[in-house]
This record gives sequence, C-alpha cells and structure tokens, in this order.
Amino acid sequence: MIFNTPIFYLFFLVFLSVYGLVLGRRRPKVYFIIVSSLVFYGAWNYRFIPLLVGSAVADYFIAQAIGRSTDPGSRKRWLTLSIGINLGILGLFKYADFVLESVGDFLGLFGVAADLPTLAWVLPVGISFYTFQSLSYTIDVYRGDMEPRKGLAEFTAALSFFPQLVAGPILRARQILPQMHDLPVPTWANVKRGALLVTTGVLKKTAADLLAIPVAKAFDSTEPVSLLETWTGVLAFAGQIYGDFAGYTDMAIGLALLLGFQIPLNFNLPYLAVSPIDFWRRWHISLSTWLRDYLYIPLGGSRNGGRFRNVMITMLLGGLWHGAAWTFVVWGAFHGLIISISHSLTKVKGLALFHENPRWWIQTAKWAVTFYLVLLGWVLFRAQSLSDGWAMLGDMHGLGAALPEPSGIAGRVLIFTLVTVAAMHLMDRAVLRGGWTAELPSWLRWSRPVLFWLFLIIGQALCLIIGEPSNEFIYFQF
Amino acid sequence: MNSSTSSSRSIFARVLLVTVLGMGAALGLVRAYAAALGASGEAFLGRVLQARAALPQIIAEEDDLVIFYGSSMVQAGFSARVFDRELTERGAEVKAFNFGFGGLNPLFQDYFARRIRETFEAEDREIKLTLIEFNPFQTTKTRYEGAVSSIDAYVGMLASRQELRDILFEDPTRGVRILNIHHLRDDVSAEMATFYFGDEMGFLPPVPESDLPEDEANQERLEALGERMGEKFDEEYPDYEPAAWNWGWQGAGTIPSERSEETLQIFEDYYAALTTDKHMTDDKLWRQYSADVSNLDFEEELVAAFIRLVGEFQQISEHVEVVLLPRNTEWIVYTPEVQARLDGVVQRIRDETGVTVRDFQVIDAVSNDMFSDTTHLGRYIGDVPFTRFLVDHYAESLGARVADDEPTS
Repeated sequence: MIFNTPIFYLFFLVFLSVYGLVLGRRRPKVYFIIVSSLVFYGAWNYRFIPLLVGSAVADYFIAQAIGRSTDPGSRKRWLTLSIGINLGILGLFKYADFVLESVGDFLGLFGVAADLPTLAWVLPVGISFYTFQSLSYTIDVYRGDMEPRKGLAEFTAALSFFPQLVAGPILRARQILPQMHDLPVPTWANVKRGALLVTTGVLKKTAADLLAIPVAKAFDSTEPVSLLETWTGVLAFAGQIYGDFAGYTDMAIGLALLLGFQIPLNFNLPYLAVSPIDFWRRWHISLSTWLRDYLYIPLGGSRNGGRFRNVMITMLLGGLWHGAAWTFVVWGAFHGLIISISHSLTKVKGLALFHENPRWWIQTAKWAVTFYLVLLGWVLFRAQSLSDGWAMLGDMHGLGAALPEPSGIAGRVLIFTLVTVAAMHLMDRAVLRGGWTAELPSWLRWSRPVLFWLFLIIGQALCLIIGEPSNEFIYFQF
Repeated sequence: MNSSTSSSRSIFARVLLVTVLGMGAALGLVRAYAAALGASGEAFLGRVLQARAALPQIIAEEDDLVIFYGSSMVQAGFSARVFDRELTERGAEVKAFNFGFGGLNPLFQDYFARRIRETFEAEDREIKLTLIEFNPFQTTKTRYEGAVSSIDAYVGMLASRQELRDILFEDPTRGVRILNIHHLRDDVSAEMATFYFGDEMGFLPPVPESDLPEDEANQERLEALGERMGEKFDEEYPDYEPAAWNWGWQGAGTIPSERSEETLQIFEDYYAALTTDKHMTDDKLWRQYSADVSNLDFEEELVAAFIRLVGEFQQISEHVEVVLLPRNTEWIVYTPEVQARLDGVVQRIRDETGVTVRDFQVIDAVSNDMFSDTTHLGRYIGDVPFTRFLVDHYAESLGARVADDEPTS
C-alpha cells in the first residue's frame, strides 16, 4: 500500500475518521494505530507481521530488563540479546544469501567448487528501518540516555506507526515514544505544513518515476548508449533516488503531521552539499545520525587517530545497510574514502583558502567537485554489478569503447532531468522556509492563503495526471 | 465529551475536510483538463463500446448470425455486407458482423468476449458461425509492453461488476485503482495521460522512419483522392444514416455493384498513390517497432488470453474456427525459426481449444497488391476478395449453395 495510490488515500481517510472523530480516549487510539499499521504492513505481506510485532515485544521487555538491572554484566547481556535478535533477523533475511554466495565465489577463486545452498527468502519490507529503530531504544536505555517506558502497546504503536514504517525516517525512541504517549493533536500550522509536505513528496515521487526512463536507458540497456545519454542517465538517477526516497519521507512526515506527530526532516538540499561530509549531513539524515551515534562514536569516533578506520567501517556498513550486494559495499567504501580524504584535506595548510571560505566561486568549485563525486558514487549504487559500474564509469570519461551518437531526444531529456532535479530542491527550499508564499513581496501577502492552497491542489492534480507504471519505491527494498 | 476531546475532533474534522476537498478539487482539475483534450474512455474504446451497446440489436436479428472477431486486420479485411449479400444470393439467410477492433489485444478481447457471451446467454441466442482471428502481431511481448499503460483503464471499461469485485478482493490495490480510473477519472489513467503528453512533447523515442524522400505531389494527390472518395460516398449513399455502431465498417461502400465506375477507379487510384515505397517501408518499420512483426516473440499472457476468449465463443456458438488472415508476404517474411514459433502457438491453440485453425495467410484469392499497408487489406481492393473467399469456404457449412470453383486452403 504505497502512499501515492488510491487505496492508501481510502485507508488514510478511514484512519483519520476513526482516529480523529470516532475515538476519543487515548488507549483505544493507541490500539487503533497498531491495528491500522499492521493492516498497512500486511498489505505487502501479512506473513511478516509476527516478525514486526515479535521485534517490538522482544525489545520492549529487553529494555525493561535493562532498566531494572543494576548489574553492568547483566545489562550488557540483555543489550547483546537485543542486538543479536535485531541483527539476527536482519542478517537472516537480508544478508544470509549474500554471505553464502560470496563464500562460494571466494572458494571458487581457489578452485573449490562450493555450491552452497541459499535461502531465497523474500525480504520483509521496511526491515532495515524498524530493526534499527527498535535497536536504538534498547541502546538508549542501556546507555542511560532514556528510561524504559511503560506500555507495550505504545511501544508497538511507535515501532509500527504506518507513516514511517516501511521507509523511515528512522525514528529514535526518544522522539516518538513520548508522542505516542501524549497523542498530540495537530495545530493548524502543522496541518498546513503536513499538507505541503505530502504534496511536495508526491510531486517528487512522480518526478522520480519519470526520471526512471532515462535511468533505465543508461543502466539497463543492452545496446551501447551515447556519452550524453550516459551522463543524463547518471544525473537522472541522482534525481530519481532523491525524488523517490525524499518524496516518500516527505509524505511520511506530512502524514504524521496531519495526525499531530512530529517527525524530523530526513533531507536538507543534499545536492547543494559542498563536501562529502556535508553531503552526509544532508542526505538520509536519520540513517547518518544513527550510524554516527550507534556505530561511529562507539567505535571511538575521531579519537586516538582512529578516524579513518572508523569512518571506513561506518560507511562500509552504511553501504551494506542499503543492500546485500558488493555494489553497495563498494559504494559505502567510496564514500568512506572521500569523507576521510575531505577530513585530511582540512588539515592541509596550503588549502586553507578553501576551508569555510564563503566566496561564491570557492563554494561553487567545492559544490561541483562534491556533486561529481556523489554522481560517481551513484553509478556504483545503481549498477547491476561492479563490472557494469566500472564499465559505465569508463564510458562517462571516454575510457571505454566508442559510443554511438545520441538519439534525437537526448538533449530534451537532459534539460528535463536538470530542471526536475532543480525543481525538487526548490520545493525543499520552500518547505524548509515554511512555504514559498512566505517569500512573496508584502503587497502580495493578501494572496498567500489562496496561492498556498492553489499550489497544493495543482500539485496534486499534476501527480494525478502523470503516471508511470511499475515504479515501486526504491528504498522499500532496503 | 470534555472540551479537549471536542476541540481535538474539530481539528481532525478540518484535516479530513482539507484532505477530501483538496483531493476532490485536484481530481476536478484533472477531469476538466482531460475533457478539454477530448480524452475519455469513449475516445479510446468507442468502437468497442458501441459494439457492446449494439449487442441487443444483433441478437434480435432473425437470420443466422456470423461474427468475425479480431483486430484491425479483421476490421479492414472483412466486409460483412458482401458476406451477407453473396450468401443470400446462394440461398442462405445469414447476418454477419465485423467485430474487428484496432488496438484491442487478446487480453482486452477476452474481456469483451465475456460480455458478448453473457449477453447471448441471457437471451438464449446462438451464433451460427464465429470466426476468430489469431493475429500473431497482437500477441507479442512488444505489443503487450505497448499496452501496459492502458490495461487497467481498459479493464475498467470492459470488465463486469463481478470481475471488478473479484479483482478488488484478490488485489485490493489494483482493484481500487481500476475503480478510481473508471468512476472518477473517466477511464483515463495517469499512465495514459503521461504517454500522451510524452508523445506530444517529444519525449518518446522517435518512431522509426526510412530515409526515402516524401513525394509531396503524391501526398497532395492522395489527399485529393481521399476527399473525392468521401464526396462519392455522399453522392451514392444519399440516405446514409450512420448507425450507432460504426456502420461504415460493416462493409458499406465495398460492394462494387453499388458503386459507379468512376468511384471504383478512384479507389484503385487511391491505393496506387498510397502504397508507395516510402509508405510501405515506414509502415514496416513501425509495425516492427510496435509489434515485433518479423520476430514474433510471443507473450504468454496474451496467448493464454486468446485461448480463453476462444472458449467464451465456444459456449455460445454452433461452430467456431480460428483464422489466420492473409499476410503481405512481400513485407512480412518469416524465418524458419519465427515460422516454427508461430506454428507452435497455433498448435497450442488447436490443442487447448479443440477448434479448427485455418491458415489463410497465403491464399490464391488475395495478392500482395490488395494490402493498404504491410498488414491490412485495403478497403474494396482487399476486403471484398477475401470476404468472397470466406463465402466460398464457409458456404456449405452455412447452408448455402457451393460455387463450382471451391477454393482450397
């Protein structure tokens, strides 16, 4: 049940009516959130509902046990159990086949034909998101960053809360649990912001679906593709993955706001980043901060000269989080490397001019280099295999075989791609500033409400007109 | 109810109002825009919907019924009026109908066949002879991919309420989507609109075209001849009243004895001017691009749908045969591998339905100069000879006198 489908619209109307108008007391509302969220989740595959509920129940009681225990050893054992359960589930469903296949391939290098069995299990949708979310709760309780909260129903409702269940953002327990206890009522300002986010989200998703076409031409074509169309495809993928993922999380945050819940933004104009470090402060913020707080810092962070090692471990695992394939591992390693290089460059005295210098041409140069590096990373991320990725990187830089001439529509597609990616960022900017009507000149302020709602209606209408079959959300597979 | 609950409900009521009114307004804009462009289910499937509406009239016919069901190749290649007239002259009272529909692949034909079957069953009426065209070009993977964007919209128009309910229970997401397209979007899906805009704005890959030069003078002559054909029709059929269901393609105007010598000459001149090398080469490139006509990589779902639709007609017909229509062998040439693929599918149809499959692809009665393009027979020059061939072939089974020169197939 995808957000931008008629069935979800019906689901949301029913949910809103019952939750907001029929149910008055807190407890029934919490139970209703659980039931509705499980219906939402079960629409993909009801067989995985026990996994989700089991994860919630296990971590709830483990957190209680950690909270009760004063013995450090016992607390550690409980935490280890929680990590074992969550990563065990993740490993079994997501990584088991990858590991078995990789071991087989590795043994093959030494002439050992190891035909290891694979599980070929279906990946439960959203598993990477909710296991990380659940894990953050037990870790926070273990660290003493938060007290274990009473109320299994509230915890289950928080973990399964349908707006953020299948593709995040990855919420921290301390962000969502108090809200699930209070069940806040939305303010009118939040309703407007929520409606704006839902509209920008669905617009981004619609744009992403259209960009899938040049992406497929560049990445999936069996015929050689021209240089222009190869670059367009890579640019389009940058737009597609951004529109797809940021669009989904915008919708998730917007829907939550319409229900009264506050979820932090997950993106902040990522393609305007001026360094790889900056990029990760703007891209998938809930994952990068999760990895920072629960992996990078516990590893030692930048202390004792361990920064390079810790960045690399963090980014490798961050890459692996996205999918069980070597392309993701290499993509993570690539980002780890460019982040580490960026850190190193800040210490080079000769480059002091470039650090924190606000001059526009320096910022533009830094942006251009960063965007180029991010694009290279996306090639590895999207490629069907590492060899395909290398080949495409070669083609992009004229290092491969001779490429054909571009087709007649290549120029138009490139312009469409650039305009679309720019438009996505303009929409983000509008959201970050509280709506573009806030920037209207004073003599036009009277028209703000009309223009605001008109934008939303026209935006939704555009998305109803434009459609491209069979484009699921990319991040659902993660 | 305390004041906080009351205030909470009032806020949620506003949220609900915003959600409903906002989406309603957006949907209203979409419908208004589609209406302004003239896009609607009627525009896409008009001929099919008109044919469906005409079923009660067809059932009410007293004569034996003959239906030729298929694609645009049937639409262009079969003259129901010639068929009726020739058989009447041979002593058989039959009424034939051309159920050929352009752009309707077997998936959609299957749904329409169910509606025909239901209507006939409800009236306890039987078809004397049903000929079903197996069109290999409509059954390819390429053809299927080209139709993906319209599947749900067409299903919304052609499926029965029970079928829509079944889809809703089996796949609620798709079911709600189809109902939404059918009831709220005037049968125009977002994918269809995108395809339309993509084409208009030049974002779709260009249609393949040959390098052969366009003959402007010939083009002008063609247009002038087309206009003359229209004028002659008006002159020779002054009382013509277009029936609800595309009466023109039931074969009107294709009976030579009804037309003047001058009109017949115009027809010949028109097709001579039409079938230039450029026209035929471009058409072949287009058919290959849109339907994979030379390679015939069959789509299983479409083949299965074709077998199902034969079953539908078997339930309401005294006799059913599957027919392969004449092929323009100058332009559509099969390699042994392609021919083997086609033979395999035909054999499967034969095995799974038990019907006779007649291969009329290469027959003496039809020659390559009777085609208006690489796949369709020309009106008058092609449909009449082929229809006469069918009359000869089926006369005996329809109770008519058999001509001396019985054709062979």
